[in-house]
Amino acid sequence: MWAEFKHTLRRMRGQIIGWSIGLGLYGLLMAFLFDSVSQIEGMEALIQSYPEEIFGFFGDLMAITTPQGYLDIYFFNYMTVIIGIFAVSAAAGLLAGDEERGTLDLILAHPLSRSALFWGRMAGYVVALVIVLGVGWLSWVIPSGSSGMGLSPIEFLRPFGPLLGQLLLFGMLALLLSMVMPSSRSAGMVAGGLLVANYLLVGLANINENLKAVVDWTPLHFYQGGYAAEGLKWGWLAGLLAAAAVLALLGWWRFQRRDIRVGGEGGWRLPSLRRMLGRRPEAEGQA
Amino acid sequence: MTQDLALMTEGLHKSYGRVHALQGVDLEVRRGEILGFLGPNGAGKTTTIRCVLDLIRPDSGTIRVLGIDPQADPVAVKRRAGYLPGELSLESNLRVEGQLRYYSDLGGNRADWDHVRDLARRLELDLAMPIRNLSKGNKQKVGVVQALMHRPELLLLDEPTSGLDPLMQQEVYRLFRQAQANGATIFFSSHVISEVEAIASRVAIIRAGVIVEEAEPDRLVSMAMRRVHVRFQEPVDPAPLGQAEGVDLVSQRNGLHATVQVAGEMDPLIKALAALPVADLDIERPSLEEIFLSYYAGQEEVSEHVG
Repeated sequence: MWAEFKHTLRRMRGQIIGWSIGLGLYGLLMAFLFDSVSQIEGMEALIQSYPEEIFGFFGDLMAITTPQGYLDIYFFNYMTVIIGIFAVSAAAGLLAGDEERGTLDLILAHPLSRSALFWGRMAGYVVALVIVLGVGWLSWVIPSGSSGMGLSPIEFLRPFGPLLGQLLLFGMLALLLSMVMPSSRSAGMVAGGLLVANYLLVGLANINENLKAVVDWTPLHFYQGGYAAEGLKWGWLAGLLAAAAVLALLGWWRFQRRDIRVGGEGGWRLPSLRRMLGRRPEAEGQA
Repeated sequence: MTQDLALMTEGLHKSYGRVHALQGVDLEVRRGEILGFLGPNGAGKTTTIRCVLDLIRPDSGTIRVLGIDPQADPVAVKRRAGYLPGELSLESNLRVEGQLRYYSDLGGNRADWDHVRDLARRLELDLAMPIRNLSKGNKQKVGVVQALMHRPELLLLDEPTSGLDPLMQQEVYRLFRQAQANGATIFFSSHVISEVEAIASRVAIIRAGVIVEEAEPDRLVSMAMRRVHVRFQEPVDPAPLGQAEGVDLVSQRNGLHATVQVAGEMDPLIKALAALPVADLDIERPSLEEIFLSYYAGQEEVSEHVG
């Protein structure tokens, strides 16, 4: 398990470095811009002139001059989707990617249980996410002394908890789907699609009251965003992590029992239209 | 009896949807032998090996590897086995040594690195080379080294010399014989008959997911149909030869020449010939390749099965 943990981190180092640099630079830039943005004259009047739909998607824009509101609008509101791309694609390829490349066959031929492989990779994946988010946190904390945000490192840290919870939830969904779907790409697309759909649905529900009943049952309803700096809703966070754990356990259970594929056997095949119409494909006729 | 077996399968069935890859594979590999698993592409060789390693689960049947059920304790089986897959894929962003160290770490750092360096030297494999720069043959050498590096008791090799040049193939055969001399059992699949003839002490032939023959290569050849050309000292009636057990008279010319086909023991023919004035005998023995092909004559359905 330890070997797989190290190997996963080594393999993900490019993604970790790339996402950390991107997130870190963006965080630094936004942290330094807080004073300028919050002190723009006529800002409130400008925001009030925005259409209602903008408020729906980005929340209470009038709170942009408060540290929590600024954190939410410029960072945490859409980081679930942005870093979600990394979280979902990495999780979908965590095991199925090796299977598609044909390397999993030989890895599992060594004295390593499927459980050790699964949880070793999972641990590497979680640590990779924590490193990326940790750099994001540092990018807000380091310039905090020279900005007027006035939040402590702990207050900056709090919103990263729910963000990690959301990323793990959708990441584990992608991992589970990669255990049952024919390819890691299709699993990533479905999980990523659900994440984006959930994000859009939350925005739309702020405009259309009828959607609220649906949104109340989706993961992003339980996301605090930047306002978690004021205090965490521990119940929500525990629920997100518990749901992620359940999805991970289901993925592990499936991985224990399934065939390791090579050459596409065991994949899904769409029904042949020709066969349904009772026609023989030309290739078969020539064979 | 089972203690003498390194590998045993009984009634192994495996299907992929409507494709029946294995249809009751019964196989025994004795400890210390080299068994060649012969069959064309798609006959079920790879599926059998992958079932043995618990990479895929059979629909039914029994497997014992060194006395262990691989489904009950796969790690115990893998700890004592070395595997070389038919389609070898490696991590392209690692160097050869990094790849081998990773495999070694998976098993608790069990490789003997002096042995690894010796294997690499004999196979002319540069441990510092990036995997992505290796040719197919050199990647295959990495596969051979990783299979042998922890001195396993059982080697499961799927097309082990695929992509290697003839000189390197000979070196790999020497490594296998050396492993056997040190007590290892080798079970290797191949569709190259010369390879099986070169190193196997026994051969199992698989056709359409069923083992159709299991014997020593020499015995297979001796059991096969042979043609015997007889020249007589004077014209005779060769018809009585065709009445001997297992003997068919194929042709005769002027009573001086006769060609017969013999299945099984030669004794009935020799006894029938004893009554005739024989001048000369010429026995045509089929090669293992001809025997192999005879099992597949008219087997078009083979291609529909997954290997």
